[in-house]
Amino acid sequence: MKKAKRLAALLLAGLMAVSCAACSTPGEKQTTAAGTEAGGNASAETVSGSETGGEKIFRYSIATDVTTLDPQKCNETIAATIAYHMFEGLTRSVGGEVQPGIAESWDVSEDGLVYTFHLRDAKWSDGEPVTAEQFVYGMRRIVDPEVASTFAFIAKPLLNAEEITAGEMAVEELGVKAIDEKTLECTLAFPAPYFLQVLSMSQFYPTREDYVTQYGADFAANGDKNVYNGPFVLKEWRQNDRIILEKNENYWDAENVHLDGAEIIVVADDNTALAMYEQGELDYVLVPTDLIPNYPDAEFAYSGACDFIRLNTGSGPLANKNFRLALEYGLNRSEFITLSTNGYWEAATRFVLPLVGGVSKTYGEEFPYEAFPAEGDQELAKQYLQTALQELGFNDPSEITLDLMTTDDERTKKEAEVLQALLQDALGININISLVPRAERLSREDTGDYEMVVSGIMPDYPDPISFLESWETDSPYNHMSYSNAEYDALLEKAYADGNAESRFATLFEAEKTLMEDGAVIPLQYRMDARLLNPNMADVSYYFCGYTINFVHADKNV
Amino acid sequence: MGKYILKRVAISILTLFVLITVVFVLVRLMPGDPITGEKITPEIRANLEAYYGLDKPLPVQYITYVKNLFQGNFGYSMKYTNRTVNEIIASSFPYSVDLGLRALALSISLGLVFGILAARYRGKKLDFICIVVAILGTSIPDFIMGALLQYFFGIQWGLLPVAQYLGLEYTILPSVALGFYTLAMVSRMMRASMLEVVSQDYIKTARSDGISNFRVVWKHQIRNAIMPVVTVLGPVVASTLTGTFVIESIFAIPGMGKFYVESVQNLDYTLVLGMTVFFGGFLILANLIVDILYGIIDPRIRLAGK
Repeated sequence: MKKAKRLAALLLAGLMAVSCAACSTPGEKQTTAAGTEAGGNASAETVSGSETGGEKIFRYSIATDVTTLDPQKCNETIAATIAYHMFEGLTRSVGGEVQPGIAESWDVSEDGLVYTFHLRDAKWSDGEPVTAEQFVYGMRRIVDPEVASTFAFIAKPLLNAEEITAGEMAVEELGVKAIDEKTLECTLAFPAPYFLQVLSMSQFYPTREDYVTQYGADFAANGDKNVYNGPFVLKEWRQNDRIILEKNENYWDAENVHLDGAEIIVVADDNTALAMYEQGELDYVLVPTDLIPNYPDAEFAYSGACDFIRLNTGSGPLANKNFRLALEYGLNRSEFITLSTNGYWEAATRFVLPLVGGVSKTYGEEFPYEAFPAEGDQELAKQYLQTALQELGFNDPSEITLDLMTTDDERTKKEAEVLQALLQDALGININISLVPRAERLSREDTGDYEMVVSGIMPDYPDPISFLESWETDSPYNHMSYSNAEYDALLEKAYADGNAESRFATLFEAEKTLMEDGAVIPLQYRMDARLLNPNMADVSYYFCGYTINFVHADKNV
Repeated sequence: MGKYILKRVAISILTLFVLITVVFVLVRLMPGDPITGEKITPEIRANLEAYYGLDKPLPVQYITYVKNLFQGNFGYSMKYTNRTVNEIIASSFPYSVDLGLRALALSISLGLVFGILAARYRGKKLDFICIVVAILGTSIPDFIMGALLQYFFGIQWGLLPVAQYLGLEYTILPSVALGFYTLAMVSRMMRASMLEVVSQDYIKTARSDGISNFRVVWKHQIRNAIMPVVTVLGPVVASTLTGTFVIESIFAIPGMGKFYVESVQNLDYTLVLGMTVFFGGFLILANLIVDILYGIIDPRIRLAGK
């Protein structure tokens, strides 16, 4: 037996020696491999973490790897941001302002239903020309049930889009056609003033059929499995590690692109990302909320994400409008923000993010509104509660117990606890918290299996309708059996309205209706605290379509 | 002997099969749905379910899955839609193995040295230092250790990179953070074992024979004292290689641990299953090899099975 153990010890020692001898990390090997493949040029240095040869590389981190870079299937802002830099649509939305993209100019018909785009001479990274037909192919992929993009809803303004997604029409029936190689015509189902904004989004980018056919399910899975018509090309996508972009010399506006490339590094831990910024390994980072006091220089801005409580109005006390209004007025949102995020995020007193576009300024500036005071209104809350109790046949609020579901991570758990305490104190009702994994929360929202749930929304395009469309009675995303004929009528009216002024006024009416019904409880607008390397110039941010814009950025190296 | 090996292999395959079945059922029992999206329409959902075969009855899905598995095909991830699970494992496993082996090499070798020195200089300063290290190592969780190392070696003193895995200097902090617990444990065990051996008769005999001090310690004391440590190394190796998640996350290393945890949160059925089968298969194979080796080395074990 002793002999056996000695042998085992020897074997283990051998194993350790081997592991020591093989002292090159997998990362290193990949780097060399990439360098050799690219003909041994300077590419190996791009990934070495330190600045070499004065290369202007912009580096920032993302918490999880993007799920796909297939333009039509992009379903998250981090992926959309990267796609925004690899491709270019007909238009380019810069900070909410529509600028010409591949389309040099466009004409809009009187009724706002037909758009004709005139394309510039632009090339793909492989030298092929960008044509109208490639835009048609891309847009058909959005709605094609075979492609099954989870973002198919975004094409709603295009004629027949919804019918095609539902499988009721052929994909060729979509309201988009190539008049000739450089002229594209889009026919809309309703005048959507935000259509030009939407065209800047990743789903509407031109797509090369030859690449899709060649790679099938692997299309866009890595740099060589797609081509690019934007400021940068995807050089390499290392799963869960980094996405490496390189300047696209074939981009039509390449002379105004100053960076040599960008590296988007996956860093799961936000404290680590901050440490990497401190060490100079990242040029841009978001400060974790609890560390904000240490960074007085951080720049604050809306992230675009809005949190709210979805109320299942189908049954129970929540079916009673007065009871819902008691919750709305009873909640002290200022107190909530102070207790959950030290007041760094902003209390939401209306449902639509005020930053989205209006007629000529932002929607918030044109239609100022405070549905519920940030501090709440306890007098009013008590009145609503009394009425509700009578209507519901309760003697005392303590007889009511509600279930509040939320995702089981640290931040949302804390938020739920604060909400529980505030609402219980204000109204004397009981609130139970159910912590569930995110996937379970989403699927239970989907099936309506909840009473109250802390949910969130990101605008898909900078227009109030992106917030309001979910609450139509027959919307597949309603998820809470909210139904109000008046609200539905207002939205239908807004959809059909070609006049911007009256359209926005109608949408504002709809928002007020939603709030006066107490259909959802707006909670907060999330804020980002950003740090940017002082050597970077011309980097900008937006809350919709992309988070960060470095197309024309420069770096002082 | 052949019969013994055959029996071991059969048991291993059966274990793997049970593992696949249990995980397949458990992952489906988890509440929620892998296909999520705020504004996903019912038609698109149905198409995606058809694409992944989720619309078929569970037994049919199971048979399809096992069939594909026999061809070495783990299928496409449901979250990372254009990645196969095979690709994900192939790209991330080398990182986890590399990190794990480095941590093991570091912790076992240093742990043994510390243990031996502490026992040799029992009650002296060196012993005290080793005890402090051992206590710290067993009581500080690895994520705190990782953050502390990052703070001091990375930010305060600027000696080493705080994160990523791009070269030798990048591997040091994560290896230390991951291996620190093992280091502490090994050094404590080694110290205790050395002290136990020192009072044995054969050491006294050796000394009375006039053998040099170095020879006594090296040839008689250490060789005997190391045995209990070697016995626990099996489980230690397994737990280190599979326990890299936290460290990978803190040090931004693209290893398997991160995918594994994420896949469960995302209910990425194919990825959860693929990773479990792979990890399970890996551990089962390791055990099989050890079993067979023991059988070859020690006849009592293989005979006991008869």
